[in-house]
Amino acid sequence: MLLVLTSVTLLTLDYRGFPPIDRARSTVLTVLAPVGDFSSRVFEPVGQAWDGAFNTDAIQAENQSLRTRVDELEGQLTSGAVAKESLQQLLEQVGIPFVGDIPTAPAKVVSGAVSNFDTTLELDKGRGAGIVKGMPVVTGRGLIGRVVQVSDNRSRVQLLTDGDLQVGFSVVGTPIIGTARGAGRAGQLTGTVDLARDVAPGQILVTSGLAGSPYPAGIPVGTIAAVTVDEGAQEKRLDITMLADVYDLTFASVVLYQPPS
Amino acid sequence: MNAPLRYLLLIGTAVVLQRGLVSHLRVADAVPDLLLLLAVAAGVAGGSERGAIVGFFSGLALDLMLPTPMGLAALSFLAAGALAGRLRASDVRAARWRVMAICAGSCAFGVIVFAVLGALLGLSGLLDPRLVAIVVVVAATAAVLGPLAVRVCHWADGDIDRVRRALR
Repeated sequence: MLLVLTSVTLLTLDYRGFPPIDRARSTVLTVLAPVGDFSSRVFEPVGQAWDGAFNTDAIQAENQSLRTRVDELEGQLTSGAVAKESLQQLLEQVGIPFVGDIPTAPAKVVSGAVSNFDTTLELDKGRGAGIVKGMPVVTGRGLIGRVVQVSDNRSRVQLLTDGDLQVGFSVVGTPIIGTARGAGRAGQLTGTVDLARDVAPGQILVTSGLAGSPYPAGIPVGTIAAVTVDEGAQEKRLDITMLADVYDLTFASVVLYQPPS
Repeated sequence: MNAPLRYLLLIGTAVVLQRGLVSHLRVADAVPDLLLLLAVAAGVAGGSERGAIVGFFSGLALDLMLPTPMGLAALSFLAAGALAGRLRASDVRAARWRVMAICAGSCAFGVIVFAVLGALLGLSGLLDPRLVAIVVVVAATAAVLGPLAVRVCHWADGDIDRVRRALR
């Protein structure tokens, strides 16, 4: 009974943002860093052997898919440059700066999800690199999440695919804004915009950077895959495909951005 | 070395193995849960009170590594460990398959308690169809590894005679 009460007390304190709990997690992150590195190095061959033994079909399918993708990309190389220029022009038109203007801290992904229901990954940079809790994390293709725990030399990132992380977006080239969150499926988000807004599949979404948002404006989030009308809620629901891949990541960059208070 | 120290060592080992090895062994996007298995095995080996105590601390270790609410895993694992001890106490025969069934059932219970409590606390994505895959994978690995984990817990309890008998 005492342990049950202790658990409930911890839950209550954490819910109310009790600082010592954050400090305890930060300490554990620091303490486990060398242990994690060591165990990852030792057990890496086992993990690779497991993938090789049980995910052969998936690897072959992925290989085939990648070959097809390479062919497509080679064909799109020229048009891709044009599209990039067009995107830049669109963003400039709506006054959204690129994330490239804000300093970033590149980091290596040292650990993925530890257990079930865990949608985080761990980076090998922490406070020493200027990272603080709440900063956005990106790859070269767009937003992947947000820093939720920091120690001196480690940080833990909650991925955008987690349904509890919400991001405000704007549709590039339009004044339309909305919110998106994880859909519980790999690389997929769900979003909502006002019913009166005119959105269509294929449109690109970037962070809106509105007042109070923890993200700077202009970080690519995803593209609209499908739009459904919800008359009851007076809104349009969007299926969004993330631009960044959150699986099998090797490197990510923390955007050293803190929203103006 | 006394029992609390041995269990502390086991929890530390389970953390390292979970983080470095088991988290890579994904089946249907789910992984085995060694810390939950340790709680359940402690319950089978030492009774419901022992299971609850070990479950609380092994859950707390997981809580410290994750951004989920602090105490959520502690409470869930505590319940699973206590249930395992209760089931074992009402089970007079020591057949291996019964131990496997108790480990599997208690681990499945622990996962479901975690998901339901998390959902009640406002966490999203816990009660989706993936929960079925997680329960199956965690329960199946608990059934396979359960007897071994129970022997390890007998060692931690200082019950060397039972370990020797099991090894014969």
